[in-house]
Amino acid sequence: MENLTQEKIDKGLEVFENFKDSKLLTHLNSCVHCGLCAESCIYYLTDHNEKYIPAKKVDLVASIYRRYKTFIGKIAPKLVGARELNNETVEEMIDLLFGACAMCGRCVSHCSIGVDISYLVSTGRKMLSNMGYVPESLQATVNAAIETGNNMGISDQDFVDTLTWLEDDLRFEVNDDNAKIYLNEKGKDILYTLNPREPKFFPLSISAMAKIFHVAKESWTLSTKMYDVTNYAYYSGNNEEAAIISQRLYDEIFNLNAKTCVLAECGHGSRAFRWEGPNYIQKEYPFDVTTSVEFIGKYIREGKIIVDPEKIQQKVTLHDPCNLARSGGVIDEQRYILEKSVKNFIEMSPTKADNLCCGGGGGQLAMSEYNDRRMKIAELKAEQIRKTGAEIVVTPCHNCADQLIQINAAFKLNVQIKTIAEIVADAIVMP
Amino acid sequence: MATIEIENKEFKVDGDGFLINPDIWNEDVAKLFAKSDGIEEMNEKHWAIVNIIRQNYEEKGMAPMIRTICQETGLRLREIYELFPLGPARGACRVAGLPKPDGCV
Repeated sequence: MENLTQEKIDKGLEVFENFKDSKLLTHLNSCVHCGLCAESCIYYLTDHNEKYIPAKKVDLVASIYRRYKTFIGKIAPKLVGARELNNETVEEMIDLLFGACAMCGRCVSHCSIGVDISYLVSTGRKMLSNMGYVPESLQATVNAAIETGNNMGISDQDFVDTLTWLEDDLRFEVNDDNAKIYLNEKGKDILYTLNPREPKFFPLSISAMAKIFHVAKESWTLSTKMYDVTNYAYYSGNNEEAAIISQRLYDEIFNLNAKTCVLAECGHGSRAFRWEGPNYIQKEYPFDVTTSVEFIGKYIREGKIIVDPEKIQQKVTLHDPCNLARSGGVIDEQRYILEKSVKNFIEMSPTKADNLCCGGGGGQLAMSEYNDRRMKIAELKAEQIRKTGAEIVVTPCHNCADQLIQINAAFKLNVQIKTIAEIVADAIVMP
Repeated sequence: MATIEIENKEFKVDGDGFLINPDIWNEDVAKLFAKSDGIEEMNEKHWAIVNIIRQNYEEKGMAPMIRTICQETGLRLREIYELFPLGPARGACRVAGLPKPDGCV
């Protein structure tokens, strides 16, 4: 690493200035070092090295704050454990805040006083982003989204051709030549979004959702211009780039005059647009934003689609995406759907808001730099799955799904990985 | 950057095990990478998928859409997932010597 310039240091320290409320100051000054967070962290549970304890990660950020922003930290830094923002500190920050945190928030719910540890990790990432130290592979994913409109650089032509191909399949599947995958239609009730991974490599979930919309007689459309539900700038800590991505989806909802934006099965994407988005773009949304999981639950409840659990006899378990369940509050809906759609649903342990991260969160799946560590912590999830004896693991998140595919292969679990839409489409009774 | 060794041959790869230099790829490399993913013997279908991915990469600099792979090889989607259990990206693209695609793969 080249020597830090004063300019870079100043850029990094900007995160401690100009905040709009007291949240950052409160959380930076609140940790009582009780250590309860340690056993909640998948990194610490895997490797009992104290550097992985969430409170240590908090202190890494807080110690820099103390050094530059408190009186005693400025005159007697050693007394209050204040740290210089120098090469050594930056290297440690990169390794621990990017490389050893899935921002899963499990420590936050175990914290004795409610410190938002993920938020402080995110603040640390923002410092690194300001200084230009986002890991290359993560930044490449953000760049692809900013430059091409989607994080995999799919061309419009490839996207449209894929949907046309899937539409043929849909017509065959539902036995209706008028079935459609609507594209760029104005005035529909719903603008649906996708994870670019779906059109590029895993389109079964697009077919499944199209089938569900078709049976529910939904008024819906996709957009060529902005369909990407992901926002990797949420992980890189660059709020300006996160705002560009959120604003594009906001604009397209207006452009197509849709009433509701339905976010695809994507944990961080649903969080980034639904909950962080209004802060990124500094605007309230004048339209509804919801997730496809909640919409599918509604269809079943209202009888718009009918599912037959007899169609799925295999043992099914559920992995909760951290950003959707623990942080987003969507916990009961996926369970309601599975109880209606499959014969034999079994919970993993721990579960719901206390479920373990798959290890792919926090941008880990995009960062090749920390692959070994990611697959090592994945053993916890592999064991959770193995203990259920399940043959199918359902997860409403494409990022988790990819990590689970790797876990399945690496730990020889011999399970199938499916999204909620895929399992519901299998269970649906054609009217 | 990391190095992996398969059957006494060393390859420079990224953290995810994708070749750092896609130009050194050849059929022997494909066989070795497939083997390290548990695919003991590459059959005709494996080769059809790998070849179309490779061809697309050499022409356009990126992995093809899954639609292209299905249409060019005549294979069904589910067959592709069965042939490469790690999926088209981490499975097939890695065996075809491509860099890791961006995004949630």
